[in-house]
Amino acid sequence: MKRDSSFAALKTAALIFIAGALCLFLLSSYWIFLITAVFIIGVALQSLGLVVGRAGMISLCQMSFAGVGAWVVGYLNVIDFPGGLPVWLLIGGLAALPFGIAIGLPALRLRGINLAIVTLGFAVAFGVVLGTITYPGQTTFTMVARPSGLESDQGYFIFVLAIYGIIAVALEFITRSRLGASWLAIRHSERAAASLGVSVPKAKLSAFAISAFIAGISGGLLAGYMGTLLADNFSMMQSLVLFAVAIMVGAQFPLGAILGGVLVALFPELLRRLSLPQDLGSVFFGVGAVQALSTGETISEAFGRLGRKILPRRIRTQKRASEASLPAARVLDGDKAVLEMRDVTVRYGNVVALNRASLVVPQGTVVGLIGPNGAGKSTFVDAITGFLLSYEGKILFQGKEIDALSATQRARAGLRRTWQTTRMAPELTVGEYIRLASGGGLSDEEVDAILVWLDCPPSEQLISSVDAGARRLLDVAGAVAARPPVILLDEPAAGQSYAEAVMLGKRIAEIPERFGSSVLLIEHDMDLVRSACSQVTVLDFGAVLAAGATQEVLDMPSVKKAYMGIDFDEEAAQ
Amino acid sequence: MNILETENLVIKRMGIPVVREVNLVASSGEISVLLGANGAGKTTLLEGISGIIPIASGSVELEGNDMVKVSAGKRALAGIAHVEQGRTIFGSMTTEENLKVALHPDASLEEIYELFPELLARKDVQSMMLSGGEQQMVVIGRALVGRPKVVLIDEMSAGLAPVVVNRLMKGVRRLADLGLAVVLVEQFANLALEIGDRAYVMRRGSFVYEGDCATLGNDPDQLHHLYLGDIGEAA
Amino acid sequence: MNSLLTSAVAGLSAGGAYAILGVCVVFTYRLVSVVKFTATALGAIGAFVMVIMTEMGYPLLPSVLVGILVGALASTAVGLITTIWFSGSSQSIKAAVTAALLVCIIAMGQRLTGGQQPRAFPDIVGGAGIQLAGVTITAASLVAIGFAVFLTVAAEQVLNRTRMGLQLRALSERPMAAELLGIPVRRLAIGVWAASGAMTSIALMLVAPLRSPDFGSLSLLVVPAFAAALIGSFKSFRAALVGGILIGVIEGLASVFVGLNQYRAAVPFLVILVVLLWSQRGAQWDEAR
Repeated sequence: MKRDSSFAALKTAALIFIAGALCLFLLSSYWIFLITAVFIIGVALQSLGLVVGRAGMISLCQMSFAGVGAWVVGYLNVIDFPGGLPVWLLIGGLAALPFGIAIGLPALRLRGINLAIVTLGFAVAFGVVLGTITYPGQTTFTMVARPSGLESDQGYFIFVLAIYGIIAVALEFITRSRLGASWLAIRHSERAAASLGVSVPKAKLSAFAISAFIAGISGGLLAGYMGTLLADNFSMMQSLVLFAVAIMVGAQFPLGAILGGVLVALFPELLRRLSLPQDLGSVFFGVGAVQALSTGETISEAFGRLGRKILPRRIRTQKRASEASLPAARVLDGDKAVLEMRDVTVRYGNVVALNRASLVVPQGTVVGLIGPNGAGKSTFVDAITGFLLSYEGKILFQGKEIDALSATQRARAGLRRTWQTTRMAPELTVGEYIRLASGGGLSDEEVDAILVWLDCPPSEQLISSVDAGARRLLDVAGAVAARPPVILLDEPAAGQSYAEAVMLGKRIAEIPERFGSSVLLIEHDMDLVRSACSQVTVLDFGAVLAAGATQEVLDMPSVKKAYMGIDFDEEAAQ
Repeated sequence: MNILETENLVIKRMGIPVVREVNLVASSGEISVLLGANGAGKTTLLEGISGIIPIASGSVELEGNDMVKVSAGKRALAGIAHVEQGRTIFGSMTTEENLKVALHPDASLEEIYELFPELLARKDVQSMMLSGGEQQMVVIGRALVGRPKVVLIDEMSAGLAPVVVNRLMKGVRRLADLGLAVVLVEQFANLALEIGDRAYVMRRGSFVYEGDCATLGNDPDQLHHLYLGDIGEAA
Repeated sequence: MNSLLTSAVAGLSAGGAYAILGVCVVFTYRLVSVVKFTATALGAIGAFVMVIMTEMGYPLLPSVLVGILVGALASTAVGLITTIWFSGSSQSIKAAVTAALLVCIIAMGQRLTGGQQPRAFPDIVGGAGIQLAGVTITAASLVAIGFAVFLTVAAEQVLNRTRMGLQLRALSERPMAAELLGIPVRRLAIGVWAASGAMTSIALMLVAPLRSPDFGSLSLLVVPAFAAALIGSFKSFRAALVGGILIGVIEGLASVFVGLNQYRAAVPFLVILVVLLWSQRGAQWDEAR
């Protein structure tokens, strides 16, 4: 993993260096001046790509963050703060950071359209404020000083390129880190991310904070570029256009950010040469964004797809990693109950979804949880894993009460679950997902061994190309890879063929011995339950109807009745 | 007369085949009962027939006309009524408003009040405040005033008391006796088999039994096997 | 004291406009579950068509009618894009689409209406207004508030008393169940888009003379419109009506205090922030399961 990031970072740095050298050699200073803008906008787009493209949140006020950075740089210039532009940029970025966190805080609760409304409102309000307080030095025509030695347009180009390069390289490392993977995870499902032990608030706030920091720097660069600025440079419309471009090109990709910069900076130039009105550009960007949203593919992704057609990605043939390479079980103490629910009651309004339900999962066993539709099985799992706002009763994990812990904390403590509909980030590879899910520390061989053991696709494959049935297996593989004390499997076999389901049942039965994890299995298929579970609990109308050894429970007349509505005693009596 | 017929119907959810090559027939005046444990694919089958989800392959014919490419709304107008599970009332409306929303010019509310007299006294009550049984009557009635040819009813007894279920089952039988074709999906087998004509049992997306209700109703052991599988017994 | 009252009353005209726009936003949201970012930009199209026609010498009434028609058509076009391509998309995608469309409409609108230089809007409402306790209430604000009240009552009556209203409610409550009953779901949805486009056009024709009437600024009225709609939780017409007027009055009051005056355009944002955080305080997880 480390090697991957270093390689990608080196590649990015080399490409930027070559591109910069070529520009300096070949182009006139007019073009150099124009292309400087490409990279400044590129920095702003990278900041937006992080929030929008990676973390999947909407920000319609990115130019406001840039405005904060630009304003601070202008102010430091006017008071002649020591250190020059490089230092001012840093301070400008840091000044934008709290604004990012302040907008990120509502984003913890608000998403989709609500977040769009808030950020748009902020953009408008910020425009009003900036228009009132005006840009420092605007009235005295004080220009922002460029770094000494780099005052010429060529010099400033080199400076901007260097800053762009530093940010791009840093992002290569961050996006491949666990933090970067967590952004992708919350984009696709916050619940699923939390169930992997990802802290959703941390992921959201860090995305907004880092993004605002980078946007602030881009604003500062713009200040040095133009010398002085107007409120209009940071108006809501600018933020909206930037947003549209980011969506259209896929600003989360290195190629996309540059491409977007080219479009924003050079498209007006092209229109000017064709004597067309400049604002056609914005219309074009808006249409492009709608197009990208309707196909679900940005320009960068389209290029990538075409590129892979020409140069197919090499997929290392999976070594038939043997079972001996499976990671060792984490040693657990004793044979006491690892998970226990005591009289848990859940209400949704007037409806009682769970009524004083109790259940024990002993160390080293697979316990089945069955019951008719609407019996409360999903509520049961949600209660255990912390996805309900409240419940009555107690849940004990390894003998300790966990009722006060959040979903993320429970997942980190070792209470893991899978989902009926899997929502993994399709941008991750199978291997990256397993690593994110495992919490780290697995070797390549161990990852491969787990994948082979559960008959999953190879680790290089992108999740986007894995079918839904195999994604469920992958979900199970991720939980197993973490080797937590307890795994809750929510209908892992749904959609599998009969033979696959039976096979999966055998694997599930082996989990306690191989990985040291106890399992609570929710399943409809009785064959699977029989082959995997030593004990079964039956839920009906939110209450526990029966619990005990599997075959005994399944043979109880009351259970048959709950399941089929047939009163077998009655039938026999007739 | 066969009103509804499916041939080798395959329906997928997120790429996974959930209904596999199913042939189902519903005739006027008859109730086709569709049984199976949950997760077997019964609801998906109904949703494919009514057009809520697309069909991967095979055909759905209403009186000989292929419906596969027809939208859900047009299928409804053509005569396929679908009473979804979970009692999908319009909660903010009264009983009568619910029934009036899609009233066919030839139909009248009186028919519904005749079929379910208990609704008459509750006609101005907001349907959110009705009991579960009454709500179920409202959604069935709402489907009937659209003058359908076949009615698909999904899990109408879920969460209701046995007395109420009995009452509803009688109403459904009445519909068939009036000449409608009915497809009744039920998790609870005995009552459905009592009032039904044709029986299907579904498992993992396929029909594992096809026959008449009386035969299956008199053979609880076979039903047990069909529902719960038999690996345990074999081992 | 009197200056406070005067400024509060001065805020009424803006408040009336916010109320109309808020009611329109609630209308679209309740019936087709779309938060219409483009609402005021679309209304501005209608308003500007009216202005351009009067500038070309057409009489006022036909210009107004054509303006309303064009506003309705533009709104329908946006509605078609949203319903045809994005009906099954997630909340976030829908939000991104409306933001992108907003970029297109504002850019085009500014191009076609001569950028930021304000146009001379004809005063549709003549008359001097009335005197009350020594304070003048302008005719324009009376008409705006009157129209807002009319819209509120009309929307409630149509939804509660007519068969079409019944079908619209069915559509908004359970779109799938409505479709399964053979209700012409798509036709109704398009009707809603057209109607809301027409109403916002009227609203903007009333508001434009009170504002700096360039296309961009008029489009930005979407922020106070959302603030008003949010006060009614995107559900209640009456609350949106009252909320819109209140926001106008608060803005008016803010203009009294030196130092606050310049920032009064930030009032809607603060209202949005407070209302949203309060109403979403129980939301913990995204809708995706």
